[in-house]
This record gives sequence, C-alpha cells and structure tokens, in this order.
Amino acid sequence: MAILNGCEIPDDLYYYLEGSQMTWIRLEGENATLGLTDPAQTRAGRILHVRIKAVGTTRERGKPLATIESGKWAGPVHFPMGGTVMKANEQLEIRPVLINDDPYGEGWIAQIKITDQSELSGLLRGEQAQAKFNEIIARDNVKCIRCQK
Amino acid sequence: MPEVMNMAEETKKLLYVMTNGPENPDKTYAPIYTAALSAAMEIDTSMYFLMHAAELLRKGAAEKVALKKGGSLKQFIDMALENGVKFYVCEESLRDLCNIEPDDVIEGVKVVGTSTLADLALDADSVVSF
Repeated sequence: MAILNGCEIPDDLYYYLEGSQMTWIRLEGENATLGLTDPAQTRAGRILHVRIKAVGTTRERGKPLATIESGKWAGPVHFPMGGTVMKANEQLEIRPVLINDDPYGEGWIAQIKITDQSELSGLLRGEQAQAKFNEIIARDNVKCIRCQK
Repeated sequence: MPEVMNMAEETKKLLYVMTNGPENPDKTYAPIYTAALSAAMEIDTSMYFLMHAAELLRKGAAEKVALKKGGSLKQFIDMALENGVKFYVCEESLRDLCNIEPDDVIEGVKVVGTSTLADLALDADSVVSF
C-alpha cells in the first residue's frame, strides 16, 4: 500500500484515471468490483447520495454505472470496460458515507461481469498508477482525510 | 437497494433557464449543480443564461462569486462543463444589460440569440427555470 499525501493507494488494484475519473477496479476472474479511490472520495467530500444502475444493466465501455452527489461534487462513475452489473452495494443507500470511510472496502459501488478482458490494457497499476496519482494529487492539491464516523 | 437508475435508454433532454447573477450569489449555485448532476445522469442537459445571469459567464466573474459553503462558483461551472452540460448565453443580455462583449465570455459557452431559447425549450422534454 502506497500512501501519497495521506491518500491510500493499494498495490493490488487496477486504476482508471482519466479526466475527472479516479476509480479502482478489483479483478476476480471475469468479474470486477468498482469503487472510488481515496483521492476521489476526498475531492468529492462527504457523499450524500449514490445512484447505481440496476442489476442486469449492460453498459458499453466508458459509460457511467453510477452517479455520486456530495454537494461539492456531482458526477458520474464510469466503468472503463463493457460489462453487466451483477450486484450493487445496497449499504450505500443507507450510508453513502461508507465511500468516504472505507473507499476500498465497505464503500465498494458495484460488481460487474466484464464483457471483454482485453480492455484491461487501458488501466493502470503499480508504479504507473502511483506516478499518475502523484501528478493528480499535486495538480489538484489533494490531501486525504477520513470523515468522522 | 441504492436508488437504482432504471430509466429507458432513450435520452431525455432538460433545459435549465438561469436568470440569477452575481447580485444574488445564493441563487447561482444550485441551478448549476443540478444541471451538472443531470448531465452525469446521462440526460442531455442545456443551460440558457439570460438577464443578469449572463454576467456569471464573463471571464473571471465566477471566481468572485463566493459561496456560503466555501469556494467559488467557478468550480461548479467547470464541473458542469466537464460533465457535458451545454451552456448558452443570450447575446442581448450580454451586450445590452451586462455590457460584455462575446470575446469576454469563458470558453465552452455558445453566444446565441433570444430565439434560441424558444428552440431549446420546444426541443426539451422539460424546462426548469431559476
């Protein structure tokens, strides 16, 4: 786990870091779990509402699977590959702040069955991901903190 | 379940009409935030700025609109544009009411005539006015 300006960046995840998107992806066979990264939840501030596409929805590469509202930020959460939503995190309806408290754990957003694994090539991990995070964190002056539970 | 989006795949169109300007900063943030959210929900979203709202789109103006929640309006305009909201500003309001030349408008905004408002409203599924 790398810590960059207070932001936790686990080594075992893939990252999608394009435009306003800073999402993580955990691969489990042909399935993936999607969530917001620590810098993304910090930049958004306390999450107030999360809307996730219905289970069974199939989206093309790069289309949003969820929408996040924080009062400070309103935006889509893209999944960088084509896929079908297999499960949505039901806990987020009651406690959307789980994304702030535990972005890589209980704050996961959706589980997706990936349509095409070859699209993984566009994702970053390891040192490449850390270099990109360093660039974003410096550019946007992000310092990660956890909301009080 | 979280609020599950289960809309038909057909793209809907929303038009937000904005009339509040820097003279009323408390009324500037919510319309732009709402439009940004609509665009994030994959709704084809447009904003039409007229009367004193045109002043918000002058280069350097949004930075000076301080919000009670902290920060300035600039970050929300940037967010809306990044999410894909289409910004239109009334040229008559711009020139005659706010004394702004089109060259002084921020990037990403189309300077259009008043008639465009009618076109946009008739083309939209719903119109929301602030």
